[in-house]
Amino acid sequence: MEILIKNLTFSYPGSSSTVLQEINLYIPSGQFVAIIGQSGCGKSTLLRLLAGLLQPIHGEIHLNGKDASLRSNHPAVAWMAQSPALLPWLTARQNVALPLRFQRNGSTALLEPEEALERVGLAAYSDEYPHHLSGGMQQRVALARLLVQGAAIWLMDEPFAALDELTREHLSNTLLDLWQWLHPTVIWVTHHIYEAVRLADRILVLSPQPAQVIEDITVALPRPRHENSRGFNAYVTQLRNTLFSASPSGDLAHAGISQQ
Amino acid sequence: MPGSANSRRITWAFMLGTLAAWEAGVYFWHVPVYLLPPPSLILRTLIQNAPVYLHASLVTFGEALLGLCLGTCIGICIAVLVTFWPTLEHGVMSLAILVKSTPLVAIAPLLTIWLGFGWQPKVVITALVTFFPVLINVLVGLQTIDASLLDLFRSWRASRWEFLWHLRLPHSLPYIFAALKVSTPLALIGAIVAEWTGASGGLGRQMWLAYTNLNLPHLFAAIFILAAAGILLYWLTTQVEQRLAFWYLSSQ
Repeated sequence: MEILIKNLTFSYPGSSSTVLQEINLYIPSGQFVAIIGQSGCGKSTLLRLLAGLLQPIHGEIHLNGKDASLRSNHPAVAWMAQSPALLPWLTARQNVALPLRFQRNGSTALLEPEEALERVGLAAYSDEYPHHLSGGMQQRVALARLLVQGAAIWLMDEPFAALDELTREHLSNTLLDLWQWLHPTVIWVTHHIYEAVRLADRILVLSPQPAQVIEDITVALPRPRHENSRGFNAYVTQLRNTLFSASPSGDLAHAGISQQ
Repeated sequence: MPGSANSRRITWAFMLGTLAAWEAGVYFWHVPVYLLPPPSLILRTLIQNAPVYLHASLVTFGEALLGLCLGTCIGICIAVLVTFWPTLEHGVMSLAILVKSTPLVAIAPLLTIWLGFGWQPKVVITALVTFFPVLINVLVGLQTIDASLLDLFRSWRASRWEFLWHLRLPHSLPYIFAALKVSTPLALIGAIVAEWTGASGGLGRQMWLAYTNLNLPHLFAAIFILAAAGILLYWLTTQVEQRLAFWYLSSQ
């Protein structure tokens, strides 16, 4: 599903500062887009606008050619955030099956919950409750829940940021496999330069508030991508330089950007 | 678990020790029976008048449980109403606090005049004293939902009722049980106080008769039953809680 954003400006009600300023974007169907920028620059706000969790003040968002500001027009999108947001009173399988209860158009599920859990490597844990699962396993359940929705757009707000390095890498590999299998349009908000280059087709760099797209980079590297290759490092350097020049203090760590 | 078996043994030893000290104290200091009867006499009174106490208990506990159910339902309904229409919160809560702070002993005779000596005024009084803890707790349970869960449900375009049924009410379960642990003993107190102000039967009526005749063994017999019922109801509440709100208890 393609995404078209026209002149999108946003500020929170009652606040005088503008969060997003004149964003114009076209994202073709099936693209894996990473959005990177400083902490608090408005990345998550942009994602929430795409999810329909916020309404734009000026400008338009079109999803598959339809104006998405009308609630009835907003197609189903799959949302995943840093917290796995599992219901503690439901088992892993019941959590994965939950979004199917809210599908109104009578569409059949893309995958059975059991199958989705198998895809993320948790088939043996389908009857476990969330408090019996580790943080990484809980995020896998959240990923399986995203999968069963069969949505054409996956909006992901730093979904693996709270996990350790190794688990994060495992999970992003799983995500990449799933994306290559289903080809949804993925919008992925991240703080990690390496992760963005490793996963995305395209990287959008946002400026500090009011956020604008200051760099739109197409990552022309074949997958799997190796972090030590010369091409990979060229993208990392380009991103680092863009973020460095955009940061008022010139300090990336201070701006919440991880260069790992 | 050996720890819990041990603590149970300590509890029993403590209770039996208290009763033994009471019995011995009454015996050694020759305390007259119209001031403090020994536990053995109270137990004998209980056994000899078992049918009377059984009937009275059924009346009182029936009223208390019916009032508790009514109060709990009212508390949950008001909490849901206020969650759906937050503009009502101030008005509804002011009224609830007004009802809650009016002394029970002031309302009970009024209700007896209006509704008679039957079970109805007792159930109303019990509901009035039990709805408030439920309302306050459930309101917190319904409204303190994690923002990431709210976002997720919004992204699914869940309706208001779906939010309530799938998210807010299950999330409130531990809060409902916390309220029940407070309101269950209150329900017993409510039923007894209502019976004292005029009733044709029940434990409160038995207590009032015993009190006016200075029949302390009978008065204490009713107190023993009430204490045992309080413990039993608390235990039952925790048992149901362990089954229904297991996820909350095991994440503690």
